[in-house]
Amino acid sequence: MTGKLLFSIGMMALILSACNMGSRGLDPGNAIKVTVASFEKQAAVIVEKTVVIEGTVLHTCKHGGKRLFLVDGNDSVSVEVTAGKDIPKFDEKLIGSRLRVLGVLKEEKIDEKYLNEWENEVKKPLENHAAGVHTGAQGHEDQGTQDKLDQINSLREDLKKSGKDHLSFYSIEADKFEEIKK
Amino acid sequence: MQIKTLRRWNNAIHRDVGYLCVGMTLIYAISGIVLNHFKSGDLVHPDYAKSYKEVIVPLPEDGKVTQTYVFSVLDRLGERDHYKSHVLGTKSLEIFLSMGSVYIDLSNGSARVEKKTPLYVIREFNLLHYNNIKKLYTWFSDLYAVALIFLAITGMFVLKGKNAILKRGAWLTLIGILLPALFLLYYM
Repeated sequence: MTGKLLFSIGMMALILSACNMGSRGLDPGNAIKVTVASFEKQAAVIVEKTVVIEGTVLHTCKHGGKRLFLVDGNDSVSVEVTAGKDIPKFDEKLIGSRLRVLGVLKEEKIDEKYLNEWENEVKKPLENHAAGVHTGAQGHEDQGTQDKLDQINSLREDLKKSGKDHLSFYSIEADKFEEIKK
Repeated sequence: MQIKTLRRWNNAIHRDVGYLCVGMTLIYAISGIVLNHFKSGDLVHPDYAKSYKEVIVPLPEDGKVTQTYVFSVLDRLGERDHYKSHVLGTKSLEIFLSMGSVYIDLSNGSARVEKKTPLYVIREFNLLHYNNIKKLYTWFSDLYAVALIFLAITGMFVLKGKNAILKRGAWLTLIGILLPALFLLYYM
């Protein structure tokens, strides 16, 4: 009886501590301050650097809560934030909250090979949610096959126009975050 | 060691490991059903129950979305106390509430009010099922998986007689293996 009770208490403690991870004690230290509006302009020169950013959560990924999107005032520009190893998930209750996020700026390179593989994934009957570029726009997770193929074709066009061999998409891999209370 | 002694040990270990696995089995099974139906599109979200209401709201008089306008919409919907923040789109406005949101199409005033209720306990089960915690839990859940393998193997040798693994048990075990294989053959 005592053993079972201890087991249950232990499990609950594990869950509760996990739910609170990543939301305390954010010390920006020497992190580079970036804003949602200037993120795209700044990103290319600070890849793999530690950054701190503030914004309002527009969307969290409902497939495991591993990513969220920050905006600032309007939704014309958004910044993708992915959960680092110490953050179990971004709960949907964060939507609409203002967050301060500390993390490392990451670059994802999308080239012709990537687009070909993505297209193959999309055409498979079983959805591979991890594949592709996540936009954070309303309903992007409920995209049908045709929508995804359209997105791939649009990226192919962008790639062609860019004159480069790849497109760069930037995101922040969060180590910690905190909610900014008004 | 005699077969009889081996069986006694097999059954005793099977029993105790079985008891230890009850909690985790329920967690994975319940969460598994929820995630299964979320994946197949029956549920909007695995951690929240959601309801929606379509309404028409007045548009801002001068075309500009201000805090006063946002509050006036929320007053009309009786949601002002739940206001968190709002984000403006090109032709839309999204107002975030503590447990939901209001999405307004600013071209015609049509609005969708979303209310969500956390699926307490199931939400925590999903967290464990996805192994979002990682760290020590990875090893713990690995241990549980090994225990399940152990239960499957020892389970085959619990009974003797006409229900033993070489008699009726063999057919049932074979059916249990063939069923997932048939799904793979049919759908892949």
